[in-house]
Amino acid sequence: MKSMLNKLQGVISNAYVLIVLMLAMAVAAPFSDAGTVQMWCFAAINVLLAQSVNLLTGIAGQISLGHAGFFAIGAYTSAIAMTNWGVPLPLAVAFSSLMGTAVGYLLSIPAGRVREFYLAMMSLAFGLIVYELLREWRGVTGGVMGMRGIPSAQIGTLELFGIELGTVEYFWGLLFAVLVVMWMLRNFVKSHFGRAFYAVHVSELSAGSLGISQGATKRFAYALSGCIAGLAGGFYAFLVGYLTPESFTMMRSVEILVMTIVGGLGSLVGPVLGAVLFTYLPQKLQAFNDYQYIVYGLVLLLTFTLLPKGLAGLFNVHTRFSKRDQLKLTTDANAALTMRTPAFDPLLRVEDVVMEFSGLRALAGVSLELRRGSVMALVGPNGSGKSTLVNVISGIYAPTHGKIYFQGRNISGLPSHVIAQAGVSRTFQDPRNVPAFTVRENVLMGANRLYRHNALSAAVNAKWAKVEESRELARVEALLGAAGLSDSGDKVIGDLPYGTQRLAEVARALASDPELLLLDEPAAGLSEAEAEQLVGLIRLAQRHGVAVIVIDHHMDFLAGLVDEVVVFEAGEEIYRGDMDGMRTDPAVIEAYLGAEETENA
Amino acid sequence: MDFFIQMLASGLSVGAVYALVGLGLNLTFWTTRVLNFGQGAVLMVGAMVTAVLIASGTHVIFAVAVALLTAAFILILIEALAVRPLAKATGSMGWIVSTLGAGILLQGLASWRFGTQAVAFPDVLFSSADTVQFLGAYISVQYIAVFVISVLIVVLMELFLRRSTWGYAVRAVAHDNEFAALLGIPVRRVVLASFMVSGLLAGVAGILVSQVSGTVDPGFGMHLLILAFVATVVGGMGSAFGSLVGGLLLGVLEKLVGGYWSPAAAEIVAFILLVGVLTIRPQGLFGKPEAVKV
Repeated sequence: MKSMLNKLQGVISNAYVLIVLMLAMAVAAPFSDAGTVQMWCFAAINVLLAQSVNLLTGIAGQISLGHAGFFAIGAYTSAIAMTNWGVPLPLAVAFSSLMGTAVGYLLSIPAGRVREFYLAMMSLAFGLIVYELLREWRGVTGGVMGMRGIPSAQIGTLELFGIELGTVEYFWGLLFAVLVVMWMLRNFVKSHFGRAFYAVHVSELSAGSLGISQGATKRFAYALSGCIAGLAGGFYAFLVGYLTPESFTMMRSVEILVMTIVGGLGSLVGPVLGAVLFTYLPQKLQAFNDYQYIVYGLVLLLTFTLLPKGLAGLFNVHTRFSKRDQLKLTTDANAALTMRTPAFDPLLRVEDVVMEFSGLRALAGVSLELRRGSVMALVGPNGSGKSTLVNVISGIYAPTHGKIYFQGRNISGLPSHVIAQAGVSRTFQDPRNVPAFTVRENVLMGANRLYRHNALSAAVNAKWAKVEESRELARVEALLGAAGLSDSGDKVIGDLPYGTQRLAEVARALASDPELLLLDEPAAGLSEAEAEQLVGLIRLAQRHGVAVIVIDHHMDFLAGLVDEVVVFEAGEEIYRGDMDGMRTDPAVIEAYLGAEETENA
Repeated sequence: MDFFIQMLASGLSVGAVYALVGLGLNLTFWTTRVLNFGQGAVLMVGAMVTAVLIASGTHVIFAVAVALLTAAFILILIEALAVRPLAKATGSMGWIVSTLGAGILLQGLASWRFGTQAVAFPDVLFSSADTVQFLGAYISVQYIAVFVISVLIVVLMELFLRRSTWGYAVRAVAHDNEFAALLGIPVRRVVLASFMVSGLLAGVAGILVSQVSGTVDPGFGMHLLILAFVATVVGGMGSAFGSLVGGLLLGVLEKLVGGYWSPAAAEIVAFILLVGVLTIRPQGLFGKPEAVKV
C-alpha cells in the first residue's frame, strides 16, 4: 500500500506524465463526442483560473476573493473586441489578458502599504462591483440580458483566418495555451521572481532586507494573476458564445478559490487536480449542485485546518524554487564574493542619529564611521540600542534625527529594500529564513539584487536567464562550502538545527555580494564548530573588502575578529577603541557589572 | 430639497448601521487580529431568524432575543472552528479563507432552509408608514429609530471599552495578548466575550438594516460587510469613534450618489473611497499607523 502510494506520488508529481496525458487527450478529442470535449475545454479554462489564483495566493501569498471579476473582464473584452470591432481570435484573447493585467495592477496600487487582508477585502469588493457593472452598463455589456451571438466554437461560428474552428480545434488551441502557461509558470517560479514572490509571502520584513520591494512584488503578482485570469476569460467567451453576469457572481470567485485550495496551494500540479475535480463533480453529482454553497463553505472553513497543502500535499508534491535541476554548474570557489579595492573614504558614516519610539529614546545621538574591509563590533547590555542602530542603518526604522551616508549617499529613511539594493545586507536576531525552502534556495534568495534578467526571460528560460541563474548557483555552492553547509544544501531548512539555520542566514546575506554586512548576534546559539565556521565567513567577507558590523556578547568570539569596538549604554556610546582597552575601561565595567561600592560602610 | 433631506436621513440611518457592523468587526480584530470575513452572513442570520420567527407567530421580543442569541452563538463557533485553529499558522491566509468559508456555509444553510428568495421583513420598530415632517420633508420614523439605536450602542460600547475593567482587559489584549496573559488577564475569556458581543452587535445591525431595507435574503450580508469595512478603514481600523464618522460619511455619500445618480455608481464611489484611503492614508482618519515589529 505504502509503496503504491509512493509510486502514485511519483506519477502525479511528474510534469512529463501531465504532458503525456494532455497529448493523449489531444489525440482522443476528434474521436470523442462533442459533450466530452466541451467538458475538457471547461476543465482547461478552470486550470488556467486555478493557476492564476495559485500564482497570487499560493506563491505570492495574496488572497483574491474576486477572481471572477478578472475572468469576466477577460471574457467581455474579447467578446466585445471580436463582435464589435472584428478583431481576430488570437488578438482578442491577447487583448483579454492585457486588460486583466492592467486591472490587476490598478487594483493592487495600495499593496505596498497595507496588510494582505485589506487587499483580500478589496478584491471581494472588486468582484462584486464588476458583477454590478456587467448588470448596469447596458450599452456595453448588454446588462442582465448579457451578450449573445458571440462567435463560438460550440455552434461552429468561430473562424480563424477564414477557417472554421470546431470544439475539437478549439480544445487543441486551449490545451496548447494551458501547456505554454504552465511551462512558463514553472520557469518563472523557479527564477528569482518566484523566490521574491515567496519571500514576500513568508516575511515582508525579511524580503525587504533582501532588496525585494514588497509593494512592487505584490503589484506584479496581481498583474500576472490578472493576466492569466483574463486569458481564461478570453477563451471562455468563444467557447460558450453567450455571456451573462450570472456566470461571474461572487460564487464563481469562491469556486475558483476552492479549486485551488483543494488542489494544493503553491504547487503546479495541485491547481490542475483541483480544477479537474471541481469541473466534474457538479456534472456527475446532482447532490453537489443542490448543496454547492454548503460544500464550498465547509471546504473553505476546514481545508486549512485538515489539509493545508491540499491534494498535492497528500501526494507529497514539493515545489522547488531554483533551476538547479535544469542547469549545469561551473564551480569556482573564489567567485563567491567580488574583490573590492580598499578606499580611504569611509563606506558608512552615521551622523548623530537619534531614534525615538513614542517618547522612548533608543538611540541618543550616535555617530560612527566604517571603512571597507574593517570589522566593527557593537557591544552593550540588552536594550542599549545596538539592534536599533542596525535596524536604522538597514532602513527598517527611519531615524528621528540624524543622517546616514552609505557610499557618500544619504540613505537615512529610505525603504529597506532600496538600502539592501545598494549593497547593505543583514541578518536578524532570530533567523528569518524561508522555512519551506532548502538551504540552497534560501542562500540563493540572498543573491536577488544581482539578477538583471526580466520576467519574460525567466519564464521562457532565455539564455540570459540561464547564464545568470547558473552563475548565482555556482556562487551559492561556493558560499555553502565556505559555511560548511555543502552536505545540507538540498535539505529543507525548517527541519535543520538552529545553528545551521543561523549559518545559512549569514551565507544568505553574503550571497548578495554586499558592500556592508550587518550581523545581529550571529553567534548566539552556535556550537563551537559552528562559531568557527562563522568566523571563517566573516573573515572571507573582510578579505574581499566587505565592511562588517557585528553585534555580539561573546567577547572571545569577537576578540580575534574585530578592528574596533563601540560600546553602547542607554542609546549612547560610552567607549570606542580596541578590545583590550574595553576590558579595562571603567565606564564599560560599570555598565556591565554595576558601579563599585565606593562608600566605606 | 425634500429629496435631499430624505436621502440625507436614510444615509445617516444606514451609515450608523455600518458603524455598528464596523464596531463588531473591530471588536474581534482588536482581540485576535482577525477580521471576520463571515460577519455579513451573521447579519443575515440575525435578520432572517427574526423575520421567520415573527412570520410563524412568535412575539417580537422573543424572536429578536432568539435571533441575537443565535448570532452570538455563531460567532463563538466561528472563533472555535475558523479562528483559533489557524491562529498559530503564519500569515493571514488561513483565517481569511476559513472565516469567509463560515460565512458562505451560513449563506448555504440559510438558502437551503429558507430558500434563496428575499423574505419581507416585518415591522419590529414602529411601522414603515410612520413619518415625521422635518424642514418640509417626510422622514420615516424607522430611519430615526435605527439611527438613534445604532449611535447609542456605538457610544455606549465606546464608553464601556474606555471605562470598565472589561474594557481595559480588551484593550490590554489588543495591545499585546501575551503580555496581557502575564498580567493575569484571562485572555481566553476576553477573546470569547469579544466574539460573543461582536455576534450580538451583528445580530442587532442585521435587524436594523433589514428594517430600513424591508427585505432580507441569504446573500444580503456581503455588501454590508464590505461597506462596513470601508467605513472602518475610512475612520481608521481600531477606532470605534472613527468607524462612526466613517460610517455616517459613507452612508450619506452612498445615498446621495445613489439617489442623484445610480445605486451602482454609489458602490463604485465606496470602492474608490476604499482604494483611495488605503493608498493615501492607510491608517484612516483616526487610526494610528501600525508599528513594525522586528
